[in-house]
Amino acid sequence: MDKKYGVYICTGCGIGEALNVEKLSAVPKEEGVGIVKTHPFLCGKEGLELLKQDIAGEGVNSLVIGACSRRVNFDIFRFDGCIVDRVNLREQVVWTHPSTKKAGEEGGIDHIQMMAEDYLKMGVIKIKKITMPEPYKLDAFCRKILVIGGGIAGISAAVDAAKAGYEVTIVEKESSLGGYAAKVRKQLPVENPFESIIPPVISARIKELESFPGITVKTNTVVARIAGQPGDFTVSLKKPGENIEFDVPFPLPPEMKLDSNGKEHDKDKQIELYKEFNKGKLDILALDPNGEKFGAVILTAGWRPYNPEGNEFAHLGFGELPDVVTNTQFEEIAAKGRITRPSDGKDAKSVVFIQSPGKGSDNDFSYAGSVTSLVSLKQAKYVREDYPDGKAYVFYQHMRTPGLMENFYKSIQQDPGIFLTKGEVVSVSKNGDGMIVEADNTLLGEKIKVKADMVVLATGMVPATADDPIINLAYRQGPGFRDIDLFNKYTDSNFICFPYETQRTGVYAAGCIRRSMTMEETIEDATGAALKAIQCIESSNRGVAVHPRSGDMSFPDFFFQRCTQCKRCTEECPFGALDDDEKGTPKPNPTRCRRCGTCMGACPERIIGFADYNIDSIGSMVKTIKVPSENDFDNPPLRILALVCENDAYPALDIAGMNRLNYSHIVRFIPVRCLGSVNVIWIKDALSQGMDGVFLLGCRHGDDYQCHFVKGSELASIRMKKIGEALQSLALENERVAQFEIAIDEYDKLPKMIGDFVEIIEGLGPNPFKGF
Amino acid sequence: MTDKYMIEPDVNFIKDIEALGGDTLKKCFQCATCSVVCPISPDNKPFPRKEMIAASWGLKDRVLKNADIWLCHNCGDCSTKCPRGAKPGDVLGALRSLAIAEYAVPKSLGKAVNDPKKLPLLILAPVIIFIVLGLATGLLDFTPSGDEVVHSKFFSTWLVDIIFVPLAGWVAVIFALGIKNFVSDIHENAVLTGKTDKKDFDQKDYVLALIKVIPTILKHSKFSECGENKERSSGHLMVLYSFVGLFVVTNIFFVTLYGLQIHGPYSQMNPVKWLANISGVALVAGGYLLMKSRMDKKDQTSSYKDWYLIWLVLGLGLSGMLTEITRLAGWAVGSYAIYFIHLVFVFNLFAFLPFSKLAHLVYRTLAMAYAEYSGRK
Repeated sequence: MDKKYGVYICTGCGIGEALNVEKLSAVPKEEGVGIVKTHPFLCGKEGLELLKQDIAGEGVNSLVIGACSRRVNFDIFRFDGCIVDRVNLREQVVWTHPSTKKAGEEGGIDHIQMMAEDYLKMGVIKIKKITMPEPYKLDAFCRKILVIGGGIAGISAAVDAAKAGYEVTIVEKESSLGGYAAKVRKQLPVENPFESIIPPVISARIKELESFPGITVKTNTVVARIAGQPGDFTVSLKKPGENIEFDVPFPLPPEMKLDSNGKEHDKDKQIELYKEFNKGKLDILALDPNGEKFGAVILTAGWRPYNPEGNEFAHLGFGELPDVVTNTQFEEIAAKGRITRPSDGKDAKSVVFIQSPGKGSDNDFSYAGSVTSLVSLKQAKYVREDYPDGKAYVFYQHMRTPGLMENFYKSIQQDPGIFLTKGEVVSVSKNGDGMIVEADNTLLGEKIKVKADMVVLATGMVPATADDPIINLAYRQGPGFRDIDLFNKYTDSNFICFPYETQRTGVYAAGCIRRSMTMEETIEDATGAALKAIQCIESSNRGVAVHPRSGDMSFPDFFFQRCTQCKRCTEECPFGALDDDEKGTPKPNPTRCRRCGTCMGACPERIIGFADYNIDSIGSMVKTIKVPSENDFDNPPLRILALVCENDAYPALDIAGMNRLNYSHIVRFIPVRCLGSVNVIWIKDALSQGMDGVFLLGCRHGDDYQCHFVKGSELASIRMKKIGEALQSLALENERVAQFEIAIDEYDKLPKMIGDFVEIIEGLGPNPFKGF
Repeated sequence: MTDKYMIEPDVNFIKDIEALGGDTLKKCFQCATCSVVCPISPDNKPFPRKEMIAASWGLKDRVLKNADIWLCHNCGDCSTKCPRGAKPGDVLGALRSLAIAEYAVPKSLGKAVNDPKKLPLLILAPVIIFIVLGLATGLLDFTPSGDEVVHSKFFSTWLVDIIFVPLAGWVAVIFALGIKNFVSDIHENAVLTGKTDKKDFDQKDYVLALIKVIPTILKHSKFSECGENKERSSGHLMVLYSFVGLFVVTNIFFVTLYGLQIHGPYSQMNPVKWLANISGVALVAGGYLLMKSRMDKKDQTSSYKDWYLIWLVLGLGLSGMLTEITRLAGWAVGSYAIYFIHLVFVFNLFAFLPFSKLAHLVYRTLAMAYAEYSGRK
């Protein structure tokens, strides 16, 4: 593409008053841009007309728009076939920095003008360095959806996807569909008025499913491996328990990578050990010729009941008294008929439901949730259904009945034979042929005892992924999801920002694999996951990113000739997008990729980049920033580079601007896709050209990370810790480089955060490389 | 307290409460808004939250032996402010009526008073007693002679007294038994639940406390702290004072009759007669006000036990006034008939006093005295 440049400066929203626009307009001209225009209202009808005329008439196809933030008017300033860069003169320059120079005043430094000129120059160099991305298209593309797990979640997801016109295959390891939903006596309500327990809805759902010819059901089937990438998954299926050569190989566990002295084995030895470890299984890159093709996967493998360990609940009589059971055991009894005691088959007319194991803690049972509260209420009702003189007690630390399930709670509460109280159950003991349950700190005010025929523990729902990877991805990083220990082995799937999405693009989770939930919630969840799977198919087939950079046409490009097979990209990619061969050369899978650029940040050879975002484009922007030295001023101002995550930090800066908060004018911000994409070369470049400090501004990392790309900010922090050596070689202090965490709603903390860093840098004094 | 309290919910008790107007009982989710908004609840162990919990668990002993249900004046603030639509005011009303039935023997009579189906029996009983006893003794004369309307010629004063004097004694005995149990129960409950630190009950102090609360009751000062139901205070006060007035009148005339041997009817110029007339009017007016406030207050449940008492008060007052008016008008047949009806009302009031809602006169007084005695604030 032959580029024709045009720079357009809007003078509205206070930009024209705060800046010397004439002087600013001269900057692009110095950089060789012929067309430089200003307009008082660029996003208005006339302003847009001006832009369109230049695009149509002058053939301008690479535009720098110096106006408001790229986060506003993004649809207005989008022109087909054009590269557009938005220079944020409004939020980042004039709204956040009061003029340092009075109008007409002679002498002094106009910091704000300098800042605007820097940003405009950076915009110009950027559009010179980048090219229009072209989408990556798969050769073969499959639009079929694989659903793993034929319970209520899987059935609902399959029906929803089929309704939208997609072919679906459900694999179910049991011999019939339905899962747990088919095993209950009655279930919680799924629709208004959410007041009473209802017969299981699963049979109606299965009937509905059978009416869709596009849904194939494979019972007694599990996934041996899923190879490939979204839009082109090759799936090997097998009978449960079977061993086949397409069973997925597991990566070598870390301890097996070491020799007896604790030193890491060399590459060849590791490959040998890996083959030994996975004997009888073909490598992940081997493609099953008989494998079925799928475009996306919905994981609805559900849960299993929690198995109490040893005498974990001995204080509650579990394992010692036969009439103390878990909620799933109680459900089994209830499903068979009238509720009777397991010990002697006598009527269970007084049943105590325990929600929390106690022992000084008010936690509920592990893997519990609102569903276990609700199930206790449901099962309490069973007691009342079976016996008009029955009594059911629920001792809880938390009674969770979210949403309209409050109606259900209210209706259960009305039953004169159901008794609810907060309290800590301290013991369950034998009393004749019955039991006595003792509880402290109840709403009844003191230590109380009740007589019980049966005691039911509201134990939790353990996700299937706690025992097995289930999805068995033929990915170099391993067959399952990484880091699910952080989430109690539930499939990580951020509830608030990115529900249903997992750490593997193309795999969407719904139901109790995500968290313990009711059937009503599961049905809704399934719809979400089905829509996500469809989004994945309909994005991958156009070669654009699925999420969170939905529609991004760029993808990482590797200059393999210079690859040293260090495997860093393969290992660090948060989404396992890269597989490597025996030599360690990465094999990209573009539709698995989320375009965060973590590989680009990781690559020590700097051979990875995107058409519109690469080492050179950002590096050039860094180098464009004018670093004032004593050659320019007697007392030159310091310069700090800030590399800012686009997802939370950049919007936070904009919000600070909208709120007219002020912060230091010596900082220059460059947005990055994710802190994970920050290559240390940019930092070195900045410091070696005399900038006085660099900070990274991004999302929180750690156990409660907020990174949109899961690992980006964490990886950046590791890299920043390692940068010390590089700084020492430049004889610079470690403190000159820092990383800060910010959430989108913490914009008010920005001025202080920036100010404190500026103070540190001022304390250190100017970078000695200045002026060279 | 180290002893664990064995909870044995009485489901039938819950159903009883629900039947007596406390049907919102189980809506409570224990937020304690009621105890916070209650203008007369003490700070230490406030009501009605704890009563709501205990009642919804069917803990009969816990609530019926609890003096706090009597400290409640049914202002209704708690019911109005409850976020869940539970009406603690109504529930406590139901509890009080169950407590009255609990402390009065025979219990079957207590049940009958709370049962609308038994109402004809309650009315029929005095009618039969009057007629049978009257005819047997010859003290009831259906053809009284003379021009002047003299009620004792129809229904001899002797007959009135041989019925009502023992009846009063019987009521006193039933109350005495009830009071004895009641005071010992509320004390035990207060000690058990930590409402007082006076572990040993001191009768003398209690009597002093009783004397001390009389002005509070006469001034209705607790009532006037109510928010929602303030207007009920004046009606209630009128009824209370008219009962006091009529009690005084009855005693004076009793002495006048048997001591001074002066028979009625007495002159309208007699100051005692003035008191009687004023009290009668106040009874009707107060009863009317109470009825009106119940009818206006749609969000408050008014059950049979409430209406029974209001109609009794109104019937008593109206029949009394009409008896006098017809007597003065000289309409003999009407006056005698109305007098008979009046006596049926009086019988109902007297005989069922320990069983009806009116027994609150005794229990609330005792509970307030206990609160005063135990330093409950």
